[in-house]
Amino acid sequence: MDQSGLSEDVYWALIDVANGLLSGAMLGGYYALIAIGLALTFGVMRLVNLAHGDMLIVAAYLAVVVLQFIPISPFLTLILVVPVMFAIGYGLQRFLLNSVSVQSMEQKGMSTGFGLMSPILVTFGLSIVIAHALLGAFASDARIIKNSLSFSALRLSEDLNVSTLRLIFFCVAVAILIALHVFLRRTHAGRAIRAASDDAEVAPLMGINTGRVNAIASGISLAIAGVAGVMVGMSRTFQPFDGPVFLLVAFGVVIVGGLGSIFGSLVGGILLGITQVLAGTYFGPSAQLVGGYMLILLVLAVRPQGLFAR
Amino acid sequence: MSTSAPEATPPKLLQVKGLSAFYGESRALHGVGFSVARGEVLSVIGANGAGKSTLLRAIVGMMNRGRAAHVEGTIELDGRRIDHLDTDAIVDLGVTMVPEGRRLFTRMSVEENLLCGAYLPRCRATIRDRLEEVFDIFPRLADRRDQNVSQMSGGEQQMVAIGRALMSSPQLILFDELSLGLAPIVVDQIYERVRAVNKLGVTCVVIEQDMKRAMAVASHVFVMLEGRIVLDGRPGDLGVDRVSAAYFGTDAGAHA
Repeated sequence: MDQSGLSEDVYWALIDVANGLLSGAMLGGYYALIAIGLALTFGVMRLVNLAHGDMLIVAAYLAVVVLQFIPISPFLTLILVVPVMFAIGYGLQRFLLNSVSVQSMEQKGMSTGFGLMSPILVTFGLSIVIAHALLGAFASDARIIKNSLSFSALRLSEDLNVSTLRLIFFCVAVAILIALHVFLRRTHAGRAIRAASDDAEVAPLMGINTGRVNAIASGISLAIAGVAGVMVGMSRTFQPFDGPVFLLVAFGVVIVGGLGSIFGSLVGGILLGITQVLAGTYFGPSAQLVGGYMLILLVLAVRPQGLFAR
Repeated sequence: MSTSAPEATPPKLLQVKGLSAFYGESRALHGVGFSVARGEVLSVIGANGAGKSTLLRAIVGMMNRGRAAHVEGTIELDGRRIDHLDTDAIVDLGVTMVPEGRRLFTRMSVEENLLCGAYLPRCRATIRDRLEEVFDIFPRLADRRDQNVSQMSGGEQQMVAIGRALMSSPQLILFDELSLGLAPIVVDQIYERVRAVNKLGVTCVVIEQDMKRAMAVASHVFVMLEGRIVLDGRPGDLGVDRVSAAYFGTDAGAHA
């Protein structure tokens, strides 16, 4: 009797941990999805875009609009959202952000310090403009992208569940990471992105137009943010001013995973997810966010370049 | 030696006239003029700060940086002005540079660095042939194609840098400080390779600190001093004494 009571305690303690690890890992996939775009532009290319999170929200609203006109599966909205987001990213970089880069600021006779500051200021302003434009267009009501999977879960065992949506996010994140990895390794455009991020002065000697390459990278980054935005919109409500929350998550993941490492964002996301869920399980819901920030602080203190920095 | 008759010489591949270059307000080149014939090896000799690197950077468009740096004068490739073009467009026309310090893409393998050199659409169809050609000239690179370049010796890195330049099928390669920081025996090997590259029909401009070596490899040398060309001719005609006098700016022969 005593014996079985004890083993039952152990069982439930283990189930708690297993659930924590599993749902933490799944949450990590979701975080990774949010962060991959930023891992490319900020982590690899060192391009700063503080409006990255707002772009995620733009994509979610875009899906809402599409669904208003055409009642299809939310996943199919990606066919439209992804190319539109790519175009926005490409145009934004090519026609706005490239002209406030360090190099162009030097060409205009400004100091390097000013050149480093200007993309931060410009995209910070852009973030505010986007949020207010969304507010004007959609009001501040919380929206969600309706779908049949919101409350569905897969049962792994009697006491172990995993959210179907989270599992899908995880798989999508892994698929995007693999695709991005292959793109960066095996294609001319991918190698050009790596070359330009490694040595922006020498890359043009390969015939690489760095302005164009940066624009392609930003386009891909926002295309991925588009996928993330639609996924986010399917799993929770969103409002026009939610962008910075996602930017913060994405920065956290990129910092933990390491600058310059694409796969680091998956590991960083999983670590952040597990830390948050376990902190929430053992110290209450309020500990969830604090636990995440503690992890980021810990990584910054011990290994400031991030776990998998290259 | 008197100037050679213009009608006898084939059209020049590169023609530079009245070229001045500025970093901000400060002037690094003062009205430089010279030409390079197709198939030639030109050595540019001069002390540190004489303007050699600036000259090469100007030719590949790296001095076109608005207020930070700019050029005046004309640079023509095959009679076509290129002085206003961006670097990537100039490279597309068949001019490239092996930069000082090699500047390889450090997070890539040998092969990836070489493939970066063949980024331009016009190069992609013949990429395998070019790769073979580079491995013919530098057999050592074939064995190490998958190795990360940052683990290689300076000489091997210089081979990758030259190979990477060759991958863009250039008509003209500019070599900036080719032998800097390399052991003499390695430098010998590198210069042997430069001759091999030249035999492929590629015109070469070499910046070299070592005067004797520069004169040995070149069919044409000139000496720069304080942003000007002070001596220009064939190495055999000029002789080491006049070249070194010009190098150090100790008058005699400099304006002969």
